[in-house]
Amino acid sequence: MRTQHTDVVAEYLREVDLRLAGLPVLQRRELLADLAAHIENERADRHLRGEAELIEVLERLGSPEVVARAAYEEAGPLPPVAQPPLPPPPPMVKERAPWVLPVVGAGAILLVIMLAACFGFFAFARSEQSPPPAPISVTPERATELPTPAFTR
Amino acid sequence: MGDLATSLRRGTLEFCVLAMVELEDRYGTEIVRRLGEEPGLAASEGTIYPLLSRLRRVGWLDSKWAESPSGPPRRYYGLTAAGRAALEHFRTEWVSFRQTVDRLVGTGEAV
Repeated sequence: MRTQHTDVVAEYLREVDLRLAGLPVLQRRELLADLAAHIENERADRHLRGEAELIEVLERLGSPEVVARAAYEEAGPLPPVAQPPLPPPPPMVKERAPWVLPVVGAGAILLVIMLAACFGFFAFARSEQSPPPAPISVTPERATELPTPAFTR
Repeated sequence: MGDLATSLRRGTLEFCVLAMVELEDRYGTEIVRRLGEEPGLAASEGTIYPLLSRLRRVGWLDSKWAESPSGPPRRYYGLTAAGRAALEHFRTEWVSFRQTVDRLVGTGEAV
């Protein structure tokens, strides 16, 4: 008999608790403790027997929706923790530190610019300082080539 | 009609609660029962507990749990100095507000 009553109460409290997920945890626990104490006080002070009388107590308290709505109204503006959580970032980004991608990207771009600058500078410097060494390299080529026609003759 | 009662209750019910514990500490269930007996004050008794919680958080009430001779522990509420000041302030505001509304709406006592 008694367990049956407790079941009705436990179910009511659970229904209220389910609707308080957005409240700070201490306010949530406080309200549940207050409601539980209220029900117990009513049971003891009014010598309630039977599930019907207990349900009457719960009905006077109000539906879990009504009680939870009052709890939110009295809670006032809630801290940002209560807002819905952001969707989890994709796993690629999650494994790296958030600054890695931009830094690596900027580094790569800088490297390309520096390489291009160096290449351009050296190419410019070479064309200024020394003329193409074509005649020097031609001579040994010709020297090796010279005997060939001699054989053919 | 329900909406009107809700609007009127908003901003006044908390001072009814403060007045209830002005002279002596009372426990939650006692406060809730008393308000529940009044027509149109607290249709759902469970909504009083969040109100008590807020009044405690703003420092107008304090509370302490105490053993009961006949049952589970009771949470007793009492008026703080700030709560007393808030109640006094409401009393003067309310009298002047009520007189103004009575005069404009035509609900004043017969002169």
